[in-house]
Amino acid sequence: MTDPSRIRNFCIVAHIDHGKSTLADRLLELTHAVADRDMREQYLDKMDLERERGITIKAQAVRLTYVSGGAEHQLNLIDTPGHVDFTYEVSRSLAACEGAVLLVDAAQGIEAQTLANFHLARDAGLTIVPAINKIDLPNADVAETRRELAALVGCEPEDVLAVSGKTGEGVAELLERVIAVVPPPSGDRNGPLRALIFDSSFDAYRGVIAYVRVFDGVLPSSAKVRYMATGQESEAEEAGVFAPEATPVQKLEAGEVGYLVTGLKDVHQVTVGDTITLAGKNHAAEPLPGYREPLPMVWSGLYPAEGGDYSELREALDRLKLNDAALAFEPETSLALGFGFRCGFLGLLHMDIVKERLEREFGLELIATAPNVEFHVVRGEETIVVHNPSEMPQPGTYDRVEEPMVLATVITPSEYLGPIFELCQSRRGELIDMSYLSPERAEVHYKLPLAEIIFDFFDQLKSRTRGYASLDYEPLGYEPSDLVRVDVLLHGEPVDAFSSVVHRAKAPVYGRQMVERLKELIPRQMFDVAIQASIGSRIVARETVKAKRKDVLAKCYGGDITRKRKLLEEQKKGKARLRRVGRVDVPQEAFIAALRVDNSSKAGTKS
Amino acid sequence: MTAGVYVHVPFCLTRCGYCDFNAYAGLDHLASRYVAALLREAELAAPGWEEEEVVSVFLGGGTPTTLEVADMKALLARLRDRFSITADAEVTIEANPDTVDRAKLAGLLEGGYTRLSMGAQSFDRAVLASLERLHDPDSVRRAMREARAAGYANVNLDLIYGADGEQLESWDATLREAIDLGPEHLSAYALTIEPSTPLGRKVQHGAVQPPDPDLQADMFELACSLLGEAGYHHYEVSNWAKPGFACVHNLGYWERRPYLGLGAGAHSYRDERRWWNVRPPEEYLTLVESGRMPVGGEERLEPSDAYLEEVFLRLRILEGVPSSWVEPGKAAPFLESGLLREDDGALIPTERGMLLLNELVLALAG
Repeated sequence: MTDPSRIRNFCIVAHIDHGKSTLADRLLELTHAVADRDMREQYLDKMDLERERGITIKAQAVRLTYVSGGAEHQLNLIDTPGHVDFTYEVSRSLAACEGAVLLVDAAQGIEAQTLANFHLARDAGLTIVPAINKIDLPNADVAETRRELAALVGCEPEDVLAVSGKTGEGVAELLERVIAVVPPPSGDRNGPLRALIFDSSFDAYRGVIAYVRVFDGVLPSSAKVRYMATGQESEAEEAGVFAPEATPVQKLEAGEVGYLVTGLKDVHQVTVGDTITLAGKNHAAEPLPGYREPLPMVWSGLYPAEGGDYSELREALDRLKLNDAALAFEPETSLALGFGFRCGFLGLLHMDIVKERLEREFGLELIATAPNVEFHVVRGEETIVVHNPSEMPQPGTYDRVEEPMVLATVITPSEYLGPIFELCQSRRGELIDMSYLSPERAEVHYKLPLAEIIFDFFDQLKSRTRGYASLDYEPLGYEPSDLVRVDVLLHGEPVDAFSSVVHRAKAPVYGRQMVERLKELIPRQMFDVAIQASIGSRIVARETVKAKRKDVLAKCYGGDITRKRKLLEEQKKGKARLRRVGRVDVPQEAFIAALRVDNSSKAGTKS
Repeated sequence: MTAGVYVHVPFCLTRCGYCDFNAYAGLDHLASRYVAALLREAELAAPGWEEEEVVSVFLGGGTPTTLEVADMKALLARLRDRFSITADAEVTIEANPDTVDRAKLAGLLEGGYTRLSMGAQSFDRAVLASLERLHDPDSVRRAMREARAAGYANVNLDLIYGADGEQLESWDATLREAIDLGPEHLSAYALTIEPSTPLGRKVQHGAVQPPDPDLQADMFELACSLLGEAGYHHYEVSNWAKPGFACVHNLGYWERRPYLGLGAGAHSYRDERRWWNVRPPEEYLTLVESGRMPVGGEERLEPSDAYLEEVFLRLRILEGVPSSWVEPGKAAPFLESGLLREDDGALIPTERGMLLLNELVLALAG
């Protein structure tokens, strides 16, 4: 048992790519948590997918043992997701800590997620330990970064630590500083148990594992526990800590961080942010504050490329949801794409990750419709929630439509302010305020519709600022907006998968783009095919794919017949793979290409 | 059932960029060995074919006229000796206008090659250059004159339309010139880009534009109308003939009569079995010279394969397929839209239908 005065719970927060995982590797080495021969890069980012994308999806908690001033300290390092899609998970991880190392790349300076994370950490009441990373880089500007960081945190420049996750320089000083300034956990070891679930995962053999921070009382290794938000109870099977591999312990006491094998098989019964207490009469009266259901922000239809894979897709989604409470899905039917699911995601990155895992881990080939936000259609007292653009009622049948807004924070070298204003204005943005971090760098706040961000906003931002601007955003609720549904018709038949809800002013442009794109993708048929875009009954764009006139083999003599027969058989198989919309045969690839989001907004991902 | 014999000569003066036939430039030194091998293969292959009534012989290539006249004569003599070739059998030889003169043509006619098929391709110099054909339009005119002078009364000209840069006007002029020369038979082929040819690679790299299918469709329609006016009967997708001059040998392929192929890469067909000789001339020579059959592969046609072939081959010729073969209702939309017509219990493609034959085949037999 460690005395609470020698426990420190902390996390490292940083903009993507500022070297958090490499610094964590050095901490593992310095505290001998991992034997040298077992050390590998980005040790804590276990999953293949995470390693490839260079991001951390699932928070981890590692117990480090470090001797300072002759006393052994228990340091719990809680790794937090670094992406804007996962803000809520970040906030729960922060709630498990007393301190946060705010890490900034010496060559990049403060970026949008540095700010976002700083504000989250400060709002969570954490002690901030500012540190500059990558001081070994030839283009490191330690003095300027130190000045910026001190100004942000409100400390003296000399209080900002300088480290190199690569060489290990300054890492021991960083640990000493954490011990010196981050307060030890407070809490009542004798009170009723209250443990915060700040993450969970699913293990095929052991079921749902909860990552917990005990605030009050004691969590025994096996006990009947209760999840206060869901009211669920279970027989917990094992408590333990990550050191960094899972290691069982007798109990977790107030102030400590670890895991609990819950004995449950469904991750939905264990939701992040929930409070664990003991079942029976010793339960806590009040849960810990801050619980929230994860809310999908972006929706897309996922359809199996081969119609027969529907039940496999359902199984795969069920399996993924075991490990991903934020994933939502409901069955839907598309006239064009058959049976599939409308899926809700935290953001575009989350959507990409889910789609990639479905394809990679479950061997499915999928068609994803263009992502959209959730619209609220208000009719009198009634609010209809629309997740699929083709379900949007026709104009004139409702009072108004509301769409989700976000507050976007952009940090940029000041020379690019012009292009950024231009971009935000073109995306229906409203400037809230701006300020200079230094004469060279500015921070801009815009109110924008979320729908405008989820398409190619981030790529546009990057290309207009030569990659220097960074972006973060947070939800601002719903506002009325002049939105209309644009339908696409093939030979007079609406193709539900191509319907989209867009702002009225942009609808004709959108319709024209879709129609022109499809003209290139729809193969010529035996008759002229009209491709039209419409708003209600009004056609706003039209193209025609002229009827095919020639499809014949010029020569067919004795030596050609076998080969030509095989060509015809191939052509026949190709036809069987076409999807039929009314009388028009549309190849799979045309759907995929037409629905592709060319420059999706993946704020914060490495590219 | 009547049968045909095909003999393949894989030698050419040069390789044309669009051609994917089994043909080679620079192998002339193998010619006399090759002729000897053909004679030998005729011996090897003959057993089992003696009873077939052979109504056509076709010496194709490549460029058969690169061979010596004496060799070609000896070849036909050997075939007549080993097979039951009817007295009035159609005997065709393919010729490149640049490889024939009056003496050679007279020799061939005298040797029994009574039908001459010449690759004219185009009368437009720019189109010939684009096809990498070395001959000049004048040499076609000359060769045609000399063929007539030598006594040829059954001549075919091959034409190709849709080369990069060719416009409808050029094709119109080529057709009119071909008609003026008065051949008994005309083949007009839409240029097809084969990926494995030099031209195919140029198209892939974007150095050459692929043919525009709509322009080729216009060219096809123009051919139909001009050749029809000139008294040629359109009897197969790419073939026209004056009455009585349809190619007996090629009709054999489309009517699925048996054929025996001799020479490198030649295909044979009989009793729902198709087999083919090895393609490389050296390999062919080695096998035949050691007394072995030079067969490189074979397939047996399942009833479904045979049916598909029957439908797509018959639809190429104006015989069409019997209406009774086609599931009721399948033909109706095409009869209605004018791609098929029904004549005496047979479904026959119209001119527009011929252009969309693959679609018709898949719709009727798919």
